[in-house]
Amino acid sequence: MSSSASMARSSGGNPVRLRSKMRLSDAVVAGTQGLRGRKARTFMTAIGIAIGIASMVAVLGISASSKADLIAELDKLGTNLLQVQAGQNVFGESTQLPAPSPAMVRRIGPTQNASSVSELQTDVQRNRFVEDRNGLDVLATEPQLLDTLEGSVATGRWLDEGTATLPTVVLGSVASERLGINDLDGTPTVDIADRPFAVIGILNPFPLNPDIDRAVLIGNEAAETVLGAEIVPTSIFLRTDPESVEAVRAVLPRTVNPADPNEVSVSRPSDALEARAQVDQNLQNLLLGLGGVALLVGGVGIANIMVISVLERRGEIGLRRALGATRRHIAGQFVIESSMLAALGGVIGVALGAAVTVGYARRQDWLVDVPLEALGLGVAGALVLGALAGLYPAIRAARLDPAEAVRPA
Amino acid sequence: MRPDQSTAAAPIAGSGPASGGHPVLELEDITRLYPGSPPVRALDGVTLSVQRGELVAIVGASGSGKSTLLNVIGTLDRPTSGKLTIEGTPVAELSEGALAGLRSNQIGFIFQQFHLLEAVGAIDNVATGLLYQGVSRRKRRQLATEALKRVGLGSRLGHRPTQMSGGERQRVAIARAIVSDPAIVLADEPTGNLDSKTSSDIIDLLRRLNDDGSTIIIITHDQELSASLPRRVTISDGRVVGDSRSEPTATPSDSQPTERVLS
Repeated sequence: MSSSASMARSSGGNPVRLRSKMRLSDAVVAGTQGLRGRKARTFMTAIGIAIGIASMVAVLGISASSKADLIAELDKLGTNLLQVQAGQNVFGESTQLPAPSPAMVRRIGPTQNASSVSELQTDVQRNRFVEDRNGLDVLATEPQLLDTLEGSVATGRWLDEGTATLPTVVLGSVASERLGINDLDGTPTVDIADRPFAVIGILNPFPLNPDIDRAVLIGNEAAETVLGAEIVPTSIFLRTDPESVEAVRAVLPRTVNPADPNEVSVSRPSDALEARAQVDQNLQNLLLGLGGVALLVGGVGIANIMVISVLERRGEIGLRRALGATRRHIAGQFVIESSMLAALGGVIGVALGAAVTVGYARRQDWLVDVPLEALGLGVAGALVLGALAGLYPAIRAARLDPAEAVRPA
Repeated sequence: MRPDQSTAAAPIAGSGPASGGHPVLELEDITRLYPGSPPVRALDGVTLSVQRGELVAIVGASGSGKSTLLNVIGTLDRPTSGKLTIEGTPVAELSEGALAGLRSNQIGFIFQQFHLLEAVGAIDNVATGLLYQGVSRRKRRQLATEALKRVGLGSRLGHRPTQMSGGERQRVAIARAIVSDPAIVLADEPTGNLDSKTSSDIIDLLRRLNDDGSTIIIITHDQELSASLPRRVTISDGRVVGDSRSEPTATPSDSQPTERVLS
């Protein structure tokens, strides 16, 4: 076999046109051989990258999950609720909404539902002998309020046309706690302006309207007849057609107070929730930065290990050069090896980060949202980092003098 | 170049392989200087010709320049001056890449320290010998299996170097050197790490491969080993100081006269 091949060679013209070449798949295999031969070291080095990638994926995943949860809550609550309040005049003095304003608001086309509340200048107490500063408001309102706010009753019932005229009261969720009335057993009463009011219901919390949670609510008629109060609306809540929220918002001040539209303040309670979804951005950037530092340290670790590996494997490098590897083949092998090492870290990190996200989100009762781009970017980023980290060791390996490298050290 | 060869070689060369043949390896006045003051003359005007099918010992004491000679012949090192021709190709004209191609196709190396990859088995170690020729993995493994059978390791194909004795490891290294069927097999102290029994087994193996047609050059400091080989080139202080042949071993080269005439 050998001699016939030799003959073919000598009669076949110039034989040294044969070039040194290596298949990409072989280069990848050669790159992984070095890692397979040093499993413990490979794993330990990959962990450095894994920690960096895991922390970044977890930061992105947790903040995405938290955001997804807020957005889901927003969707549930709706973003079409507007609140009109009296603002301040040019002298900085508090103003009042004109008395007919609730009716005016209802006349705006896209308004689906509107109700006003009027804050009464009085206190509510558990009974006449208590004089707590409990921070609770007494609000006079209309029976439509519950529909407008899309609220619900925890126990008992809400005001209706009948009870709105009687000394009855419905408690907000915080108010019921502060007054110590958690149920309606024994027909509890509270004391408003030294008059007893029967508690007929307790409301569930309003995520968009915490003011209502801290209030006790009575009917407008009861406020006028029982307490002799004058009804001056302090807030008007309205639901609009979701498509026309901004348009309605624009015309509200002039509708409510045509004479002084500047004295009217209009807000959208859901804006606060949306802002919360954005607030995390700074913290998220900081955490991503920390993850990036961990990743960088991992990259330096890889570069370090690769330099050591090149020193240890002088013989192998010399052998490969003797077997026909070019400098480029050698450099490629070490860059691939270091990329594989980092990519392994990337895969571990992505899995770890996703697991942390799922675990944390479950514990917080959030929707789980692991951003797929973060997973892809995690592995790809690790690959690139590994290639960069391997560059210097690879150049060192390629520059080794093959004659020196095959000698015993 | 003939007159440069030692007197001992001349009479045999006339009747043997050197006559009118196609040398697989030719060195003409090769010098290799290492920088320093004064520069070290590792090789000093070496002229040498090796015909196809020869089994040559290059023998010399340590520091005689035989390792430098091996590196130059193996194209791992370039001479400072002089002309090196392998299979009719002047090496000086080749780029780094072409030189790597030449090594991959024309030269098989056997090292004293075996230089096997510990993470893979015998078959993949041998297949590495074809890695830089762009041969498919399947073909590589097939040729590697054949080569391992030729060195008597047909039953150890999957064994890792750590599971093998020194002699077996060197056989794997030899299989790797011959798997690409190179023009020249260069063995650098192939028995340097082996006991005497294993050493003679390895030399017998090399002899058998030579009988099959391989051109083999063994670099050694072992006088006894070199004395057992058909041709001995002695190096001292970077010069060829002796080149002798023993009669019977000229036969393998004699068996290919027609080929030489044709080329």
